[in-house]
Amino acid sequence: MILQLVIKKARAEPAQFIFVIIAIASVIALVLVLEGFRQGIYQQIRQIIMSRGADVIVAQAGVSNMVASRSILPQLSRQAVERIDGVVEAHPMTSLPAIYDKDGRQTPVFVLVYDTLGGPAELEAGRQLAQNREIVIDRSLAVIYELLPGDDFVLNDFSFTVVGISKDTAAFFTPFAFTNYDDLIDLYFESDIVGDLSTLPLLSFLLVEIEAGRDASRIAAEIDKRVPEVDAYLPDAIAANDVAMSCSMLGQVFQLMIVIAYLIGVLVIGLIMFSSVQKRKYELAVFKAIGFSFSRLAQSVIAESLLLTLLALPLAAVFAYVLSLLIQEAAPVYLILTTEDGPMIRTLIASLVFSILGSLMSFRMIARLEPVLALRR
Amino acid sequence: MIHWSIRSIGSEGAVLLASCTGVAFAFLLVMFFEAVFNGESERITAYPTQVNADVWVMQKGVANMHMAVSQLWDWKEDRIRSIEGVADTESILYMNAVIDAGDREWFAYIVGLDERADFSAPWAMHSGKRLPERGEMVIPETLARLTGLQTGDNIAIVDRRFTIIGLSEGTFSMANSIVFVSKVDLADIMSATGSVSYVMVRAASGVSPIELAQRILNQVDKVNALPQKKFINNDHHLARQMGVEIIAMMSIIGSLLAIVIVAFTVHMFILRRKRELAIVKALGYRNRHVYMSVLLQALLLTLGGLALSFAFALVLFPMISLLVPAVSLKWTLASLLKTTVAAFLVAALAALWPARQVVRVDPLAVFHG
Repeated sequence: MILQLVIKKARAEPAQFIFVIIAIASVIALVLVLEGFRQGIYQQIRQIIMSRGADVIVAQAGVSNMVASRSILPQLSRQAVERIDGVVEAHPMTSLPAIYDKDGRQTPVFVLVYDTLGGPAELEAGRQLAQNREIVIDRSLAVIYELLPGDDFVLNDFSFTVVGISKDTAAFFTPFAFTNYDDLIDLYFESDIVGDLSTLPLLSFLLVEIEAGRDASRIAAEIDKRVPEVDAYLPDAIAANDVAMSCSMLGQVFQLMIVIAYLIGVLVIGLIMFSSVQKRKYELAVFKAIGFSFSRLAQSVIAESLLLTLLALPLAAVFAYVLSLLIQEAAPVYLILTTEDGPMIRTLIASLVFSILGSLMSFRMIARLEPVLALRR
Repeated sequence: MIHWSIRSIGSEGAVLLASCTGVAFAFLLVMFFEAVFNGESERITAYPTQVNADVWVMQKGVANMHMAVSQLWDWKEDRIRSIEGVADTESILYMNAVIDAGDREWFAYIVGLDERADFSAPWAMHSGKRLPERGEMVIPETLARLTGLQTGDNIAIVDRRFTIIGLSEGTFSMANSIVFVSKVDLADIMSATGSVSYVMVRAASGVSPIELAQRILNQVDKVNALPQKKFINNDHHLARQMGVEIIAMMSIIGSLLAIVIVAFTVHMFILRRKRELAIVKALGYRNRHVYMSVLLQALLLTLGGLALSFAFALVLFPMISLLVPAVSLKWTLASLLKTTVAAFLVAALAALWPARQVVRVDPLAVFHG
């Protein structure tokens, strides 16, 4: 019956029906974008760690994070790790936060210094590092500052040449850049930071490559046991730690925004159902006159709002996807994942709940409808 | 016509309220997003602002503190102190780190203080000691409240455990709380013996910070020296820039949502008042009069929503700050003005679709029953 009613309404007033669907879809799209924003932050953090290509990641003892965390490993720890059975090689990597400043605009950049493993996994343009004074930068930096392979890139007064533009290498609202160890040392010397290089962060992490078929968690445990100055993690575990940290930083903000978006959803559905009931009050009065109970009519209103919400969902997914593309175009450092299963299902359930809550707003009107109204038309 | 517009929109109180509230929440969402960025931008500059030095000296190529790394030889502080016009200097070691506190991980600025630190030390204390010695730390009072930690408890930074000896005020931030330890401890953690991160300089009376910064740049090799105001502006600017695009996008999304809500409400008003509009047209009112009435209704709804959103923000933002101390919200006049301008745009755009409906109203509809 409800489906027939909705189809009838859609045929009778297609413009209004489309408007209703757009209104509901817009609210759901807003929730999807916010959820996608949150998921994107977590995904970027995971991605930046997982795409370094390590089987085991070694950090300074007591350091359990990788992104935005300072870790300084003793130089000799590399040899100690490589002596462990099952380790093929421990590839060095250094993380250096810096501020890129050009044309009066500043952007924080995480520079990852690598040697044989840990470079950018995928390039959008250009090539990987081949010589000194070269740098690969994240796509977002290239877009913001209109940089192309071949352009200069000055960091801490040290001049690099951009040779590649990498994809999916931003996390924590910050783009990454990749360079090699020779350049790091040159950068330290040219900046005249301090004279003794041993005091500088030359080795932040070791990206451990293990023999095929060996158990990475056992090797990590062995490293922990035999090299006390380091902590070894599976990439999954260190990524989970970073995601947990970003949750503690941003989780509450996103939660508050999503709650506000849901409140908007309740109000929009309420508004729609209120208008719908008001428009059909003569029909509803007729139903009351022929013996339909309040609960039966209320159920029909709930069913109608649920059906409208279900019809709006595919459009909402399209809206959210288009919005996410637009946002990522305007602000390429962000990743907005609107099509992930978890947030999709969560939003679907929440949308159905807010559509029920919204339909409650018209219950008072239904309850107060006099059956005699049916005769007044 | 104006009277009719106001009366007709006012006659459906519940619809008006629901619509205005929907619009208000759409604006509130935008304001909330911006307030979070403003609040965090302010907290990010809390340390340099409160330290109140005249000039900041740092590694060459570095021009701020947030997410920056700076290291200088410690003898450069002595060199700076000997420059004419320098009244006093203090230096800190500084690094970003993740600290484990109360079963959660928090991103923090770790500041290493000299044992005789004065203006570089915490500027306001809630309780306990202000200056940490070896193995001691001062944490933000808000962090202690959120994690249930107290003076005497332990927190790990990297692989060292520190005992909380004081709780500071005004040092908590969702993105980077400020934790104070002794410089010796931090030098050990950072393997940075013999170096400092920033030197904070106080100028002698009558010496301008700009002039003093230039003097330091001229006399000390390979450092950067900035007057306090410029240094703080750099950090503030950086923090704002990190959020500027996303705030703009969220503003557009919120405004689009407000447009849909207002347009839908006005559209429904018009549908319900087709006969009245037909009468108006039959009486000889021109389309532009009817357009104006639609625009006025859209404007009234939007302004109602805007007023409600301001009222909500006035009540909710301080409540959120109290209930969720991790979130710092700051509402600025610029945000208010931006939202107001957006509201007028929303009203104008939202009136377009209903206006189309109005044009199609046939004066003969008055006889259709």
